[in-house]
Amino acid sequence: MSKKIDERLPKDTGKKVRESYAAIRSPWDKLISYKDAMHYVSRYNSVLSAACMQALRILVPDYKERAQYMCEAAYQRLYYIQTNYGAYAMDQHNVHPFCRGSFVGALTGDAGDEGLLMCGRVQDFGTYRAEKELDVCDWDIVGSELCRATTQSLEASSTAWSEKLRPGTKLEFHMVEARGCGDRHCRIVAESRDKYPMPAHEQWECFGPVATEDQIKYTQEEDTVKESMVFREECDYTFSNGTNMEQDDSSVSEMMSHSNAACLYIFPTIDYLLRQGKLEEKTVDHVLRCVCEAAGKAAFGEYYAKEAQRAWLGVPAGLEDGRLMGGHIEMFLQAFGVPYETEAFNSEEVIYVIDRGKLTCHAAKMGDAYVAYWYGMTRTLVNAQWFLWEEKEKVSEDKLRIKIARKIDKFC
Amino acid sequence: MYKNVYKYDEMKRKEHMAVRENVGWYLWTHQLIEVTGDDASAFLDELFTKPIATIKVGKERYTTMLDEKGEIIDDVVVFRMGEQKYWISTLFATYMQAWMEKHRGDYRVVYENITPQYHMYAVQGPKSRDMVNALVEKPVDDLKFFSFEENKAGDLKVMVNRAGFTGEKLGYEIYVAADQADTMEEKLRAAGEPFGAVEVTEFQVMAWTLPTEAGFYYMRDLRHANPLEVGLDKGIDWDKEFIGKEALLQVREQGPAREMLGFTVDEADIYIQSRHLGGPGEHVIVDGEDIGRVVKLVYGYVKDTNIGYILVKKGVLKPGDHIKLHGFDAVVTEKYFL
Repeated sequence: MSKKIDERLPKDTGKKVRESYAAIRSPWDKLISYKDAMHYVSRYNSVLSAACMQALRILVPDYKERAQYMCEAAYQRLYYIQTNYGAYAMDQHNVHPFCRGSFVGALTGDAGDEGLLMCGRVQDFGTYRAEKELDVCDWDIVGSELCRATTQSLEASSTAWSEKLRPGTKLEFHMVEARGCGDRHCRIVAESRDKYPMPAHEQWECFGPVATEDQIKYTQEEDTVKESMVFREECDYTFSNGTNMEQDDSSVSEMMSHSNAACLYIFPTIDYLLRQGKLEEKTVDHVLRCVCEAAGKAAFGEYYAKEAQRAWLGVPAGLEDGRLMGGHIEMFLQAFGVPYETEAFNSEEVIYVIDRGKLTCHAAKMGDAYVAYWYGMTRTLVNAQWFLWEEKEKVSEDKLRIKIARKIDKFC
Repeated sequence: MYKNVYKYDEMKRKEHMAVRENVGWYLWTHQLIEVTGDDASAFLDELFTKPIATIKVGKERYTTMLDEKGEIIDDVVVFRMGEQKYWISTLFATYMQAWMEKHRGDYRVVYENITPQYHMYAVQGPKSRDMVNALVEKPVDDLKFFSFEENKAGDLKVMVNRAGFTGEKLGYEIYVAADQADTMEEKLRAAGEPFGAVEVTEFQVMAWTLPTEAGFYYMRDLRHANPLEVGLDKGIDWDKEFIGKEALLQVREQGPAREMLGFTVDEADIYIQSRHLGGPGEHVIVDGEDIGRVVKLVYGYVKDTNIGYILVKKGVLKPGDHIKLHGFDAVVTEKYFL
């Protein structure tokens, strides 16, 4: 018998960010580790984001047009944020004052990827070229328009950072491989057009080709990783970058709490189009609700999905009421780090009052998306007698009060 | 795929070799913490491993800063600007200030991040003295290594420091008011032209290829290592108290567990992960035993081969040994490639 002890997470993983640091807890005392909770919330929000992307696809049917809007919105938003608040982030990432040029922005992409569990590695980092390769991306089901928009947000951040330094060359960022498109990795290659000239392209066409394809370092399958550095023993459970920045596992919760594809890229695009009068709010709300309700119903439409959910939550045998859905929501809220109060949790009704800002990352329509999604889930996870709805009366704007109960609705 | 990002890059080669064979100049601004007060010398003596109070005004010293475990948390250059006035040149000022705050205690000291006030330009290479002399009012011929003095470049007040991060015998660092950086760059360009000076613009050249050839460290290389493991114990003042001394004495008594060695890989287009880009770095496996990691892998333009550092279990390897790194043949060397 081998005495080998396989890699184990330290017992205090997640200590800084969760009260019961080793776990989240279902209403039936099922405990989930911090690491699993982070993976869970990451994929959960990715699935909802995929639904929201479908809504956007209905609202803006043309791929090119939609991708361009997403890129514009992402670029403008990140450029604004990093122009105004980037100095602190640059300090955190150890951007040295002798650096000049936008390559330094690659550092924020690298750390952000790891925090979002999109593990991989930096393959090149220089003034005129940078390359980052990801092995995992939970956002890979959302849609390739998103990949383009994230690339533009990185370029915007990099440009904004470079403007706080002595002038230097500007890099053009391309995602030359994307897991969402079927590639093994996601790969960003950023190149200076001063050094590596290429024909000009439209903003949404930030998917290559690049001039330095022969310099790409492709990691073979057997050398890929599945976890971020903060969950890997070989990294001493610490993220480290090339400029000596280090982060512990709390960085994952921090990133998860305000970064998902829907709140960062999809809803800002919808807002962007609403402000320009290119979409009507009534249509947006209708499409969003339809798509998210359907996505929610599909989540537990399969019998085995419901059984898996019962095992995940540790639901007692025979319990078949709104508490099933309540447990599901509680697990998600805990994993997401969203404060909530339980007003009722019994066989007749379940009521939660949720911190709206934390849940939606201050993307207003995100709350509607969750409610529609959870409504759909309730109909299949419990049964069609059960509904989930928002109660707005006597509830402050910063709270989302949801109720799960039986009712009859002839127009559902 | 896998084409070496250094070897075939004529721009990087030109910038690198200008420093080795002629003269190169570049923005090399570091962060500066100014420390003043009656107890400045004593305070810094506690923070750093090498003696600080003995530095003469107008001189500077390279030293490590340790945590209580004896691990290096920064490596800096301390300038003595006055009797109780120092500049600390670092790249991690925020951490440095937090560390100072933690250990200030009753010391009568004031420290301030004065980074925004200055830019610094490196002029490095065999013709650097000639170029600097063409730039400044007062010749720098007599300026000794790790010494600095005030000077003028036309109308600009500058401070010229004879130092560098390239391993060149001749090299200077010129400090100028931050708002004069544009003018300074014009002057450098003009002064350098007759000497064929090259502006080094590539981060990889100034931060990695030039220093690595000379065996120098960037802080990432040193993280979570102690000075005895990485050969930075020379000059430590064991007779004074400093943070981390107790732990380091134990290391000295027992002998360091690891050592930093160099290596070369002749095959040009390789795939070996290295810690200098972040992450853990490639495993170094010898006779089935995992003995360490690849800490740095760049290119040595002088020897025209891939060069790097490995941090490995002490005593297993020696220069001349052949090892495999991710399947590529590597030769263990001293940590010096010039």
